Order: sequence, then structure tokens, then C-alpha cells
Amino acid sequence: MIKAENLFFSYTGNAPYVLENINFEIKNGEYVSVVGENGSGKSTLMKLILRFLKPTRGDISTQSKRIGYVPQKSENVNLGFPITVYEMLDSYRKLLKIKDKSVVEESLKIAGLSGLSSLLVGNLSGGQYQKALIARSLIGWPDLLILDEPSTGVDAESQKDIYSLIKRLNTERGITVVSVEHNLDAAISNSTLIYHLANSRGHICTPEQYTEEYLNPERKHSRHA
Amino acid sequence: MLSYDFMQNAFVVSFFISLLCPCIGIFLVLRRYSMIGDTLSHASLAGVTLGLMCGQNPVLSAFIFTSVCGALIEYLRKYFKKHTDLILSIVLALSVGIAITIISSGKLHANADSFMFGSILTVTQFDMAMVIILSVISVIALILLYHRLLYIAYDEDAARVAGVRVELINYIFSILVASAISVSIRIVGVLVLSSMIALPVATALQFEKGFKQTLMLSVLFSMIDILSGLFISYYLNVAPGGFTALMSVAVLAAVMLAKKLSHRAKSGACS
Ligand SMILES: Nc1ncnc2c1ncn2[C@@H]1O[C@H](COP(=O)(O)OP(=O)(O)O)[C@@H](O)[C@H]1O
Ligand SMILES: [Mg+2]
Repeated sequence: MIKAENLFFSYTGNAPYVLENINFEIKNGEYVSVVGENGSGKSTLMKLILRFLKPTRGDISTQSKRIGYVPQKSENVNLGFPITVYEMLDSYRKLLKIKDKSVVEESLKIAGLSGLSSLLVGNLSGGQYQKALIARSLIGWPDLLILDEPSTGVDAESQKDIYSLIKRLNTERGITVVSVEHNLDAAISNSTLIYHLANSRGHICTPEQYTEEYLNPERKHSRHA
Repeated sequence: MLSYDFMQNAFVVSFFISLLCPCIGIFLVLRRYSMIGDTLSHASLAGVTLGLMCGQNPVLSAFIFTSVCGALIEYLRKYFKKHTDLILSIVLALSVGIAITIISSGKLHANADSFMFGSILTVTQFDMAMVIILSVISVIALILLYHRLLYIAYDEDAARVAGVRVELINYIFSILVASAISVSIRIVGVLVLSSMIALPVATALQFEKGFKQTLMLSVLFSMIDILSGLFISYYLNVAPGGFTALMSVAVLAAVMLAKKLSHRAKSGACS
């Protein structure tokens, strides 16, 4: 469960807030897509859940034992870094103090990357790179998976793979998923709930309600203008 | 030439230098912190002059003062989040200020020049002991922290998610940097220390391998640079620091050239 209560956040510590009076409760096993315009605070909210950032006021908490995190592409990561796919996963396994080496191959297999483990991470395609990040997040079997725009910079074919993988992890393994989405179709067809951020505030709804409220034909036009 | 005691000492110390500098350097270079190496080597000069003035062992005093400066850089990071380069200027000002003031005061009981340019004649038994102790502790720490240091350099957020205490490891790492610098200062000298930290790594990066292989190659090139620099400077009777730096540039240039030629040969074969 993830719970936010009267959460306020700003990077400066003062108004204006990036996030204002956020309240929600996400139950275990949900697949929540977080949507909103660029700069609406989606990544910031993920970082609050991850405890990289502290709330300016209010509270946000999870009971999760292990969180898997797939960061937004190109954020703070040096693509020229000399590291192989195997090293990227195996060192992560070491950080989690997991003795069993086979979890690395297993994660790669689940993510559909078997056979690519000796490639340099910098030489992967956008889709392969994203799958590698997902493979890494699966090491140690998280109960909560946080993804930040998992399909940005990914070709259509790999996008399908990635969403069916996330969906399977959610339904078959019961992993709670919170995924920032710019891909509204994917959000609507995959998730159980949609969290919509606008003007620093958020509200939660079902995909059906979301389609009704935001994407019906008259409004769709004005939203994308 | 190995029959001379001082040459044997110099070789032992050089071996540890060529092991430690690239192991530390690879993390500094990949985090784009190479200039920290430069700043801390100036800090070590201040440490040396303080040690010489107080009649203490200069390698030990360099290690202590450089560690303090390394920790200070980490500490100031909180206050200068967007301007980390400013922190280096501050620590540099402090260090160079101390060094120049002490050297120019004429109160030194020894010659500081050998620490600027490097020297093989002045490695004492006590220096040797210090170098070996610091090196062995550093190598053990590097092995224990390998995966954590790798992840902090590669993807700090992921390291945090995995429960790595990033700030603590950063402090420990700055002490390791101080240790590598204090070990090296006697032979290669302050002025070229930062090139010993960066150039073997730059050379290894040309091969575009994974992390472990890049690290191994860095150590290999570092051994080539430093040991050949030491030999040749001995025969030419020049300071080892200068010639080691020249060797490291020459090896880097040779590798870059070879890479270019092999690319050309490949594309030539295709057309
Ligand atoms: N580290 C930071 N320091 C200051 N402001 C930031 C920082 N990161 C993001 N912001 C600002 O916070 C707002 C929300 O950013 P973000 O959460 O990245 O939005 P989104 O992921 O929805 O595109 C933006 O206005 C952005 O400029
Ligand atoms: Mg974002």
C-alpha cells in the first residue's frame, strides 16, 4: 500500500508548490498509471514515494519491502559509461546482497534480453535499454515496481513487449505497479487506476472514467491544442 | 640499477602507485570528478609542507591533510549543489595558500621541490612502510566497496534504491583518494599526479569494454606509464614525475592512433 496524506512538495521549500495537498491510497496489486502534462510533477511524485525527496509538508509512505525502480530515460545516467548489461545487473544483485547468481540470467530472460548480456549498455537500442532497466528492477523480486515513462524512446514493437511484460508482472506475480505514462493508450488499456496530475493537484479515477472525463471527442480537441 | 636500495624502494612504491591511481581514477573520471584529483594533489602539497615544518613524516601528514580536504569537499557539496567546481577552487585556495606560505617562509627543514616534481632518491624506509600500509588498506577497501562505488558512479539513484549509503561511501572514497595521492606524491610529484589518475583511464576507455575490463586495462597502462617513466627518467637523469606524464600521453596517443588506423582498415575492407 502507498498512502499520501496532505502531501505538499516544492524544491525550494516555499510556495509555489510542485505538488499541493496530495491525498491517495494505492492498494497492493493495483496497476496505477500517473499521467499529466510535462512538468506537472509526475517524476517528483515518484521520487517522493522512493524517499529520494522529503515532503515539504504532509506525509507519504509505503509498506513495501522491496521497490524496483525504472528511472526516466537519460536522467543522471551517463550512456558512455563502460558497463556491460551483465555487470549492470550483477553489481545490482551484489548491492542487494543476493547470493544466487542465477537471478541475473532469470531477470534477463523475463525481460526478453537473454543473449545480450555481454553487450555494452551504451550500445543497446532504446527498447533494449528500457528492458535492461526493467530486468534490473526485477532482481530480488520487488513487491512494488515504479516506472517513469517506460516507453519513451522505444520503438513500437518493443513498446508492446514492455507493456505486456509489466502487465504480466502485475497480474501473475501480484507486483504493485506505479507507472508514469505519456502514452495515454497504454495507460488506459493496461492500468487498473489512473492518477491524473494537473495544476499541482491530483485525482484518481478508473480508466473508464478517465476516458469519459478527459478524452471524449469535444474535450480531446481542446486538450491537445 | 636494481642493486641500488633506493631503486628497489622506488620500484615497490611505483608498483603500488600504478595499482592505486587508476583504481581510484576510474571512479573519478567516470563521475567527471577528475579535477578533484588535481585539487587534492595540491592539498597533499600543503600536507607535505606542514609535515616538514613540524618535523613529521611528510607522507603521513599529506595523507591526513588530504583526507581532511577530501571530506571538506564532500561536506561542502551540500552547500554548493549547482556549483561543485567552486568547492574545488575554495579547497585549492586553502591548500596552495598554506603550501606557498610555508615554503616561502624558509622555515622548512627539508627541500619541498622533490614533492613537486617527484624523486626516486628520497624514498625513506618510513615512507615505504607508510606507502605499503596505506596501499594494502586501500586495496582491501576498494575490493569490499567495488560494487557500491561502481553503482554510485554509474547510477546513483539505483544505488540508493538498493540501500547503498551514498554519502557515507562518498566520504570513505574521498579518504581513498587521499591515500592514493599521498602514496604517489613522493615519486611522481604534485604537478603530474592528476595525470596519473586520469590518463591511464582515458587510455583504457578507448577500448570500449565493460567496467571490469576497463579497470584492468587502466591498471595495465598505468604500470606501463609509471614503470617505463621510472626506468627512462633514471637513465636520462631527469625527475620521474615529468617523464611518467610524458609516457602516459605517448601511450594514450599511440592507442588512439592504433584505434583510428584499425577503424580505417575495417571500413577500407568493406568498401
Ligand atoms: N531537481 C529539481 N530542482 C528544482 N526544480 C525541479 C527539479 N526537478 C524538477 N523540477 C521542477 O519541478 C516541476 C516538476 O518536474 P517533474 O516532476 O520532473 O515533472 P514531470 O515528470 O511531470 O515532467 C517542473 O517544473 C520542474 O522544472
Ligand atoms: Mg518526468
